[in-house]
Amino acid sequence: MIDVELLKSILLYGVMTGGLYALLAVGFSLIYGVSEVTNLAHGALFMLGTYVFFFLATPYGGIQTNLFLAFILAAISVAIVGSILYRLTIDPVVEDPLMVMVVTISLAMIMQEVLVLGFGSYRQRVPSIGEELAKMLGTEDLVVVWGVKLTYSRILAFALSIALFAVLLIYITKAKSGRAMRALSQDREVAMLMGINTGRLSMLAMAISASFAAIAGVLITSSTGGGVTYPHIWRTPLFMAFAIVVLGGLGSIKGAFVGAFIIGYIETIFSFAIDPIIASILNVPGGASLSGAVIMATMLLVLFFRPKGLFGKRVELEE
Amino acid sequence: MATTYLRRFYSSFLAHIYDIPPRLLALLGILLLICLPLAGLSARILLILTTAFILGIFAASWDLLVGRTGQISLGHALFFGIGAYSTGLLFYHLNWPLWITIPLSLIIGSLAALLIGFPCLRVKGHYLALVTLAFPIILMGLILYFRDFTRGDFGIWNLPSYFPTLPYTQQLIAEYYLCLFLLLASAIIMYKIANSKIGIVFVSILDDELASKASGINITRYKMMAFVISGLFATLAGSVNAHLMANGHVTSLASLRITLSFMAVAWTIFGGIGTITGPIAGVLILEILDKYVLTEVIDVPSSWRLISYSAFVIILVIFWRGRGLARFVTDKLEDFEEARDIDERGPKIWKTYKKKEKK
Repeated sequence: MIDVELLKSILLYGVMTGGLYALLAVGFSLIYGVSEVTNLAHGALFMLGTYVFFFLATPYGGIQTNLFLAFILAAISVAIVGSILYRLTIDPVVEDPLMVMVVTISLAMIMQEVLVLGFGSYRQRVPSIGEELAKMLGTEDLVVVWGVKLTYSRILAFALSIALFAVLLIYITKAKSGRAMRALSQDREVAMLMGINTGRLSMLAMAISASFAAIAGVLITSSTGGGVTYPHIWRTPLFMAFAIVVLGGLGSIKGAFVGAFIIGYIETIFSFAIDPIIASILNVPGGASLSGAVIMATMLLVLFFRPKGLFGKRVELEE
Repeated sequence: MATTYLRRFYSSFLAHIYDIPPRLLALLGILLLICLPLAGLSARILLILTTAFILGIFAASWDLLVGRTGQISLGHALFFGIGAYSTGLLFYHLNWPLWITIPLSLIIGSLAALLIGFPCLRVKGHYLALVTLAFPIILMGLILYFRDFTRGDFGIWNLPSYFPTLPYTQQLIAEYYLCLFLLLASAIIMYKIANSKIGIVFVSILDDELASKASGINITRYKMMAFVISGLFATLAGSVNAHLMANGHVTSLASLRITLSFMAVAWTIFGGIGTITGPIAGVLILEILDKYVLTEVIDVPSSWRLISYSAFVIILVIFWRGRGLARFVTDKLEDFEEARDIDERGPKIWKTYKKKEKK
């Protein structure tokens, strides 16, 4: 009755997608936690990461460097861009949530149009790190795990994102600045009274958030997204990130992690099992267009029962 | 008999419009807009202005919701899209004339606002902004998925026009006046609502939700009211726009894009948040600048136009916040008025003395 093969692939693909989404969403959540900034340019930073990687790693830019070097350089340069933009544009309006959203969405539009000017608005093929690794190992880019066919790119992306997530967790629980960030997200006023330099810390958080967005960009586009990037891609990761973070609770790292796996599984279950059924019953072509709607509907459903998300801060009386 | 009415009208005009500089300015602006088509402008400007009037309704409706009640909505294009799609689909499937489909789409739009209001009003602040952002995505996904019913990417073409019997140029002018009339009517209604007792309650919710709750105000009801009124006007804008010649008689996914929601925010910030009239002025000025001056007069590529638009918004936000054009002009006019009063009251020396004292 139950298709075991389907169940297995749903289980594995769900885990892989969840891991990648966790990396994407945690940056969004981190910067919200530290400085209450709803960074609607998160998707644009994701896109910028893919473009820097594309520029450095392919013959297009004329400087075809090593893929791994390009990957690291992309993360670093996007982190620098993110923190500079934070200092110049977001910091002056940081107390007003509406203005922050307006500024960040304007930044996203600017990045989109700059990339259109620089690279053209058509799709560009991003090289896959997993394929490169498979080539180095001398095997084909295909592994069979537990009876399910997977690519090296997916496994590598998953492993890297989990590793980076673990590094971030260690950083915010052990390092001094990381603990300061947590203090800020728990109680802003008291943390400031303890002498935490909010401006510098926010810039640092933004740098981490931006570099995570860029890393997620390179990993997601090269492993799942059909391997292409284009200047209008920023909306998809942005919507994904905010759905996950709102579902898990704004500013909560744990919420981002749990939310990413929930959304990852829902997306996988929908596209593997439910979408073909709906498509055959209603006689429509089907396809990925509804999965975004399903994810948003899940987020709304969770919010309906828990208005602050799963792990959101509970504020009594205030607000 | 007639003269007494005329005299009464004249005195009320003096009291309510002539003596209040911003209103006089608005009246002059309206008269200018009424006279413009008579000046023999090019069809291009008329088309731009016609669209700008409709977008003015849209921006003002956003302002009524966000500027007055503080319920941040980033997905206002949803209502614009609902308007466009309900009138378009009713035409496409049932072939009904537009004077039935547009009122029906208004009903659909307000029902949708009620329906969406329920989950939205459970959440606050940042959560609300992000949740409202989600709705256009859901609708867009549904439209793309059921593409046999909605025509998906293609959009619905050849919607009926308002004045099919008139020749092209006259049709243009007729649509111009129709949209101007709709803009004025909805602006006056929204302005009246914003300054009525309901509007004061809206502002109290913006200022301090807890305090207004403690004063015995059913804030959920008022928030819902703001949502529905705002949604209704945005739907009106969307459904009227779908049939316009300036829009090419088409309903498409462009009416649901995040860009449109963002534009409503940009116009309102430029015009002045919470002023209702400001966003309308903002739309008119920025649309003329963007679509005419930067496109026709100086041919700027579209990428550079969008970059300068966004950069302008960022600079505006950083230096002006939500204060906007309307408040700036009002302040300036009041200063002017004050100077005039002083002039009438005493000699020049006294005036300079008064200015020093002010400093």
